[in-house]
This record gives sequence, C-alpha cells and structure tokens, in this order.
Amino acid sequence: MLSIARTSLQHSSRRVLSIARPIHTPCRPFTQPTPLKQAPATRNVPKIQRRNYSQIPERNSIGAFTPTSAALFVLAGVGLYFYFRHEKARLAEEREKERGLKSFGRPNIGGPFSLTTHDGKPFTEKDLNGKWSMVYFGFTNCPDICPAELDKVTAVLNNIQKEHGDIFLPVFISVDPARDTLPQMAQYLQDFHPSLVGLVGGYDETKAVCKAYRVYFSTPPNADPKGDYLVDHSIFVYLMDPKGEFVEAFGQNVSQEEIEAKINDAITEWQKETGKKV
Amino acid sequence: MGWFSSAPKKEEGAPNRQDRQKCWEARDAYFACLDDAGVVKAGEEGKACSKEKRLYEDNCARSWIDYFNQRRIIAEAQKDRLSRVSEKK
Repeated sequence: MLSIARTSLQHSSRRVLSIARPIHTPCRPFTQPTPLKQAPATRNVPKIQRRNYSQIPERNSIGAFTPTSAALFVLAGVGLYFYFRHEKARLAEEREKERGLKSFGRPNIGGPFSLTTHDGKPFTEKDLNGKWSMVYFGFTNCPDICPAELDKVTAVLNNIQKEHGDIFLPVFISVDPARDTLPQMAQYLQDFHPSLVGLVGGYDETKAVCKAYRVYFSTPPNADPKGDYLVDHSIFVYLMDPKGEFVEAFGQNVSQEEIEAKINDAITEWQKETGKKV
Repeated sequence: MGWFSSAPKKEEGAPNRQDRQKCWEARDAYFACLDDAGVVKAGEEGKACSKEKRLYEDNCARSWIDYFNQRRIIAEAQKDRLSRVSEKK
C-alpha cells in the first residue's frame, strides 16, 4: 500500500513535466517506447499520452482494490482452483491408463490349476483371489533350499501380517506328486508358517500348474513313491495380487527385508488404485 | 536316529526340522574332517573320517548325500576360480 501511494504521488508531480519532457521510466507501462525519428509513431504519441495521464489520478485516488479487481481476484482464484482440480483428475486418469498398459506388459505367470490342499480340500486358482498370495514350488524331501526358502517366507509373513492383517495366502505347491502325500504335506508344513497351504495334485495337474507358473521340475511321471531321489525345480517365490495377477518373483538371493519392502510397495500401490488393501 | 539308516524310525515321510538339522550337522562335521584331510571329493579320504562318515550316512538320505557331496566339489571349484580371478587383479 505504501509503495503504491508513493508512486502515485510521483505520477501526479511529474504530470506537468511530462508534457515538455520525454516520458520517464516509471510511466513506461502506459506508453510505447517509440523512437522519435519515426514520423508516424511520434504523431500518435501525444494522443496516447494525454488519454493515459488524465486517467491516472482518478485511478490512484480509488486505490488498487476496486470491487472490480477484487471480483477479478476471486474469479481468478476460483478459476485456478477448478483448473488445477481438472488437471489433477486428468493426470490421475493418465496414470491409470499407464498402469493399465503396464499390466499388459506383465509376464504371463499364473493361470488355471486344480489341486488339493494338505487337509484334503479342492483348491483352484480362484481360491487365490481376494488375498495377496505367495506361491512357492518345492517338495518335502528337499535337502536345503526349500526349507530355507520356506523359513524366509515364514519370517516375511510374520512381519507383514503384523502390519497389514490377515490378507495373505501363501501356498506351497508340490513338484513331487509321487511321494508328497497329503499327510506328508501336512506334517511337513508344521515346521513353517501356519497360514501356509500345501497343494498336491497328480502328475498331470502338477505339470499343468508348473507350466502356468513357468516352473521347471524334473520328477519323472513314473517316479517310485518309495524312491530316494531329488527333484530339480525352479525356486522362485511368486507374489500375486488379490486379482491373481503376477506382481514379482523373488529368487533365492533376495533377502527377507527386500521381499517385505516389495510387498509393502505393492500393497501401497494397490491401495492407491483401489482404496483397499485387498 | 536317521530316517534312512539301517534301522529307520520312519519308513515313509519326509524329514522334519530336527531331522534336517541333524543331517546338516553331520554333513558339516564330515566336511570339516575332509577339509582337515585336504580332500575335496567325498570318498577319497580313505579311513580318515570314518566316524563322521557313518554319522553323515545315518542321518542323511542317500540322495541328499550325493547332492551335498556334488555341491561341495562345485563350491570348491568355484572358490578356486574366484581366488584365481582375484590373484589376477
């Protein structure tokens, strides 16, 4: 306010001088900086000057805040508010579209399967929906990698369940249909997290689920149920979202902390999209 | 005792956590003995580690033993290669 008052004073005091002298810098906004040599331009200058300068005192006497400027200010504010809201919505939509595209780029891991749980209930890929699932393949006679990985999964589950609640469904799918009976699976899983569900099928069902998850396994179809053999198999832990879509695969070298961080990120992302955790 | 020894408690069924632990401990003891004897390939130690070997075989399935022995050879070869690489540097 003070600076406005001062400049207005200067304007009025210079008003007289400005007729005889060229225009000074504070007044530049009201005039065209036209070179004097150009005849047509100079002819117009006095006319413009006269009109502008006669208006200044009136404008200054009212001050900068007229009802019109206040209305303009409010209008601009409201306009900007709606503009930004619109932009935000547009960006969110764009991001949504991108996400949609991203899901097209996902590896095609997972798919229909039909197996039996370690306590004898039928289980298909539809039973994975509505929960975050971790899918791991192995066999109960596995010497060291499977139990180590299942221990890691157990530790991860302990922590993420504490944080997010009961929204996880970890499954352990047998790649040894000849030897992994239901009671044997049940007994084996007692050593690990209680929410782990053991899944067993015949040779063909096992082959089908392994194909769906791009898992290699080496059990021959005519393996001896009493035989002493190992099954070579892929050892990834797959994270699937509540829609049953693949999110991430964790290899043996991915630490427990890294898995937890990835799962937390996935849940946050999902929550941003859907407003829910599952 | 073990689950695949001459007098197995469990004819069928996979080893549980305790069984696995026992097997791993017996394996580590046997491999430590092999290290002392300067032997990489299990079975080439003569009679140097017979006590450890018996415990190892009592507590681990044959398939596990083959797997661990084979992995020991691979791991040693890898160690060799790694040390050679670091020497070159």
